[in-house]
Amino acid sequence: MNRFAYASPATVTEAAAATGLVAEAMVTFDESAVLKAGGIDLLDLLKLELLTPSVVVNLRAIKGLDAITQDAAGNVAIGAMATLSQVAEHPLVRGSYPALATAIAGAAGPQLRNVATLGGNLLQRPHCWYLRSPAHHCLRKGGGHCFAIHGENQYHAIFDNHACAIVHPSTAATALVALNAEVELHDAEGATRRLPLEDFFVGPDDDIQRENALRPREVLTAIHLRKPASGTRMAHLRQGEKAGFDWPLADVAVVLAIGPDGVCREASVVLGAAAPVPHRARAAEQALQGRHPGEAAAGDAARAALRGATPLSLNAYKLALFETLVRRAILAALA
Amino acid sequence: MNAPFEGIGASMKRKEDLRFISGHGHYVDDINRPGQLYAYIKRSDRAHAELRGIDTAAAKASAGVVAVYTSADLTGIGGLPCGWQIHNKDGSPMAEPAHPVLASGKVRHVGDPVAVVIAETKQQAKDAAEKLVVDYKDLPAVATVTDAVKPGAAQVHEGAAGNVCYDWEIGDKGAVDAAFAKAAKTVKLDLTNNRLIPNAMEPRAAIGEYDPTTGEHTLYTTSQNPHVIRLLMGAFVLQIPEHKLRVVAPDVGGGFGSKIYHYAEEAIVTWASGKLAQPVKWAAERNESFMSDAHGRDHVSTAELALAADGTFLALRVKTLCNMGAYLSTFAPAVPTYLYATLLAGVYKTPAIYAEVKAVFTNTVPVDAYRGAGRPEASFLLERLVDVAARDTGMDRVEIRRKNFIPKDAFPYQTPVALQYDSGDYVSTLDAAMKHADWAGFPARRAAAKAKGKLRGIGMSTYLEACGIAPSKVVGSLGARAGLYEVANIRVHPTGSVTVFTGTHSHGQGHETTMAQLVSDQLGVPFSQVEVVHGDTSKIPFGMGTYGSRSLAVGGSAMVKAMDKIITKGRKIAAHLLEAAVEDVEFKDGKFTVAGTDRSKTLSEIALTAYVPHNYPIEELEPGLDETAFYDPKNFTYPGGCHVCEVEIDAETGVVSVVNFTAVDDVGRVVNPMIVEGQVQGGVAQGIGQALLENAVYDQDGQLLSGSFMDYTMPRADNLPNIKVGTETTLCTHNPLGVKGCGEVGAIGSPPAVINAVVDALSDYGVRHLDMPASPQKIWSIIQGAPRMAAE
Ligand SMILES: Cc1cc2nc3c(=O)[nH]c(=O)nc-3n(C[C@H](O)[C@H](O)[C@H](O)COP(=O)(O)OP(=O)(O)OC[C@H]3O[C@@H](n4cnc5c(N)ncnc54)[C@H](O)[C@@H]3O)c2cc1C
Ligand code: SF4
Repeated sequence: MNRFAYASPATVTEAAAATGLVAEAMVTFDESAVLKAGGIDLLDLLKLELLTPSVVVNLRAIKGLDAITQDAAGNVAIGAMATLSQVAEHPLVRGSYPALATAIAGAAGPQLRNVATLGGNLLQRPHCWYLRSPAHHCLRKGGGHCFAIHGENQYHAIFDNHACAIVHPSTAATALVALNAEVELHDAEGATRRLPLEDFFVGPDDDIQRENALRPREVLTAIHLRKPASGTRMAHLRQGEKAGFDWPLADVAVVLAIGPDGVCREASVVLGAAAPVPHRARAAEQALQGRHPGEAAAGDAARAALRGATPLSLNAYKLALFETLVRRAILAALA
Repeated sequence: MNAPFEGIGASMKRKEDLRFISGHGHYVDDINRPGQLYAYIKRSDRAHAELRGIDTAAAKASAGVVAVYTSADLTGIGGLPCGWQIHNKDGSPMAEPAHPVLASGKVRHVGDPVAVVIAETKQQAKDAAEKLVVDYKDLPAVATVTDAVKPGAAQVHEGAAGNVCYDWEIGDKGAVDAAFAKAAKTVKLDLTNNRLIPNAMEPRAAIGEYDPTTGEHTLYTTSQNPHVIRLLMGAFVLQIPEHKLRVVAPDVGGGFGSKIYHYAEEAIVTWASGKLAQPVKWAAERNESFMSDAHGRDHVSTAELALAADGTFLALRVKTLCNMGAYLSTFAPAVPTYLYATLLAGVYKTPAIYAEVKAVFTNTVPVDAYRGAGRPEASFLLERLVDVAARDTGMDRVEIRRKNFIPKDAFPYQTPVALQYDSGDYVSTLDAAMKHADWAGFPARRAAAKAKGKLRGIGMSTYLEACGIAPSKVVGSLGARAGLYEVANIRVHPTGSVTVFTGTHSHGQGHETTMAQLVSDQLGVPFSQVEVVHGDTSKIPFGMGTYGSRSLAVGGSAMVKAMDKIITKGRKIAAHLLEAAVEDVEFKDGKFTVAGTDRSKTLSEIALTAYVPHNYPIEELEPGLDETAFYDPKNFTYPGGCHVCEVEIDAETGVVSVVNFTAVDDVGRVVNPMIVEGQVQGGVAQGIGQALLENAVYDQDGQLLSGSFMDYTMPRADNLPNIKVGTETTLCTHNPLGVKGCGEVGAIGSPPAVINAVVDALSDYGVRHLDMPASPQKIWSIIQGAPRMAAE
């Protein structure tokens, strides 16, 4: 790990500006500054020297960035610095977005959730073991080769995996994309922008060296969730090698808007740990829309969800895993 | 009122736990010596490369740096020795390439130490190490045993042609071939035993200290056997005579074998502290543990069984390739030979056995003994093969075992692969395990699971192991370069309390409790008055340490011998005081009594007299009550038992969960049932880890991919069922306590039970075998690959 200076600004604007700083005596490092939320992933990235910042900017001292609030219209905003535990246990989240609460409650482990933040979770870097191995200078690190595509790819992507086969590591993101969440970003001039989380994530075809559209000198401040329409049903399911302290092998979030007639008006089916970004299974969504969802529709949707998958040499098992999880998640949402 | 029962058989709470759970354990990294410097080891990030040079100038100029050493600086230092020499089939000795303390000429695995930086702080040492410029020229590498023996494979050592360390055999090939030729049925199975990383909770650490006024070196180290380290490092590496070298292994947070061996860092800090005349500390970071602690297992085998028409085993033929890694770790050559192939009879009376073992070098971390060491490899192979034999011949899995068990009246039993078993009753452990596991009720549970869409399977292993290593003469004739006796010094203090100095070492096993119970029981001294001291060569006369479940069988026996001497002397003192003949003095419950009278003296009265010898047979007896004994075991001792595992598989996802686990073991006499239960449960947890989750993954270029807890899947509580533990006892016949050993049975018996259960659960899919770990990926592939067979 390199040496760095430490800053702990009191406002978001200061924090955003601080990421443009280069500590005086330390100009040897080309990367300027990084933000620290819970620091869980950041510490690993520093230890592996995937990041060698001159300044680490702590976000913890900024007041109010962990608030979870509801506006008059019933929409909920979650501060980026809310810990995963706070989010998973919050009555507003559990009441209106149970799939998000479940997704987060099953992520990592209790000690980690008490420290890790929702913002940090969405911005964590993938855990492809080649990416995290100093010996493998792969495409995502600016090298010339993806080691996973013909290597040990049992944990890798089954969709959009031709250039780089990472899976997006955030379990929260699976549920949030299914809920059509938006992110709010704040820059050093105090300006903010909002965009759908789904568009915030960047796949390898757009830029193989980044996973999201966060700009330099920008801070993620909040995640916005629209009030769910009445009749909305949702579920999140995951399957890992272990029940905790590990990323899932596969996870699925399903959000269904069911009309009074029992017909599915809208469906969101999102697969996590399947592709470089949370993977929206459009064919599965279509298989549900306009139908009375039940066993048959769930089975059709599950099969449709995996259509077009391009499994690698060691990860075809994920097809069955996902198909099962999609079907079970749909049924769990309806239950 | 009777005193509470504290002796042999009592579940005394562990004495040591108070300090461990209250944060008062004292580990190597808790020790800091005045003026201490810090070492950081620069390790190779290449699997195989020529080491063309190391530019140390910038590192030496870095802040706080006191010294930078490479192999060129280590003049007059020997390489790390290997403690066991195996001979090839043709009688020639194994290839034994040099194992330099710091890599010289070449690096041979990721993690191979290339230089050491010593600085005033750990961070300074680490910062400076980054400024070392190592000039490598990459060479092709091999990571797996199968690749290593291919023609044209990269060569790890010049002196080991074809990467072969040794090509060894045991058993009667002619008899086996003849039996196969006329057998009614033969069964063949290819299997691998996955490579594991021990992951003790405490990473390794070492501090070297030198006292120029006395010329004495002290090494504090995370070791399971400080005397062995003193011997190996003193005699072979640094040429420091024993009386000038003290090795201390204080509280050690787990070892599982990985802390038996003499490692480079121990020699480096001892040598450097002498050179700099300042203490030098090194403590591994977790990622260093992954790439520098000896790994375990890593076999690829073919096993064949010849059977008579009625299912009687006629002969067993085994061919194994095993991975030594890049260098020979201290006991590595013995593990796949004398701790593995000699166990291939298992609990069965197979009359003819022949095994060939080829050990090969690869560009991976050295492989050595890991909990069970060789015996889990044997039990996995055998217990899988027996299940496959039952399946292929249409016999019941339990009946085929019963039919071939060595009967309980056949002991001592000589196997065709060198060992002579002392005692056992395999039917009793089998019956008890089947009863506790409700084997008979399984079909109903399977049907209920099926109704929920789950595949339920049950499996067993009836395993055996050898522990209490070992008679020195025997192991000497097999290539061990050490004796394997144990030493105890029992000191009864003037007031009657007792200190026990043992050459074994406790690093989680609870010796301070078990051994105190043993001494309390035999000398009639309250448990609280007995203190067990281990882990310091300046306090303990000698010792071989703890591994292979030997501490009670060998170390405890040495204590019994020493206590016999105490009692013999005590009787003489008592006879003098009581004015009776020595023959008339009996010792019982802490009292010396003149037989048939109520005249007696307590042990503490005798002790006081021994140290204040005013009225004392001073002409015949020396004062004091302090005795030492060396005990060399007469044989190995053979725990065994039956493990039953029940799993449920989600057929749609391939995920396995262990729903029931029952272990009934014969560990000989049980001194502390609670500790035995804990040892078995811990071993089973590691066995389930091996069977379902753990796997050291190297890429083809020798890079360790599963080099952190993120990628190396350790079992957690949620992977484990409530493990039911029972014991059925046959006593060891040749040690005074009748004890066998319980430290490894869990890890030896459980993996085949788990895989047998998984295969059983998948029986509808025509599955015959599946290698460990049984990941969802493998199971799903099987389910997909095999059309469903059962029709119902
Ligand atoms: C054993 C283990 C198991 C795990 N299992 C799971 C799992 O099942 N599911 C899952 O989703 N995750 C899992 N994780 C990952 C863990 O949840 C993330 O590492 C954690 O959420 C990161 O949050 P943090 O607040 O600590 O982020 P940090 O480590 O502080 O930050 C992560 C990154 O985001 C940047 N950053 C953080 N906050 C902001 C912000 N507000 N604006 C701009 N940039 C920011 C930082 O600069 C850094 O690059 C696991 C981790 C471990 C160690
Ligand atoms: S999957 Fe992506 S991150 Fe992993 S090795 Fe390939 S390019 Fe690198």
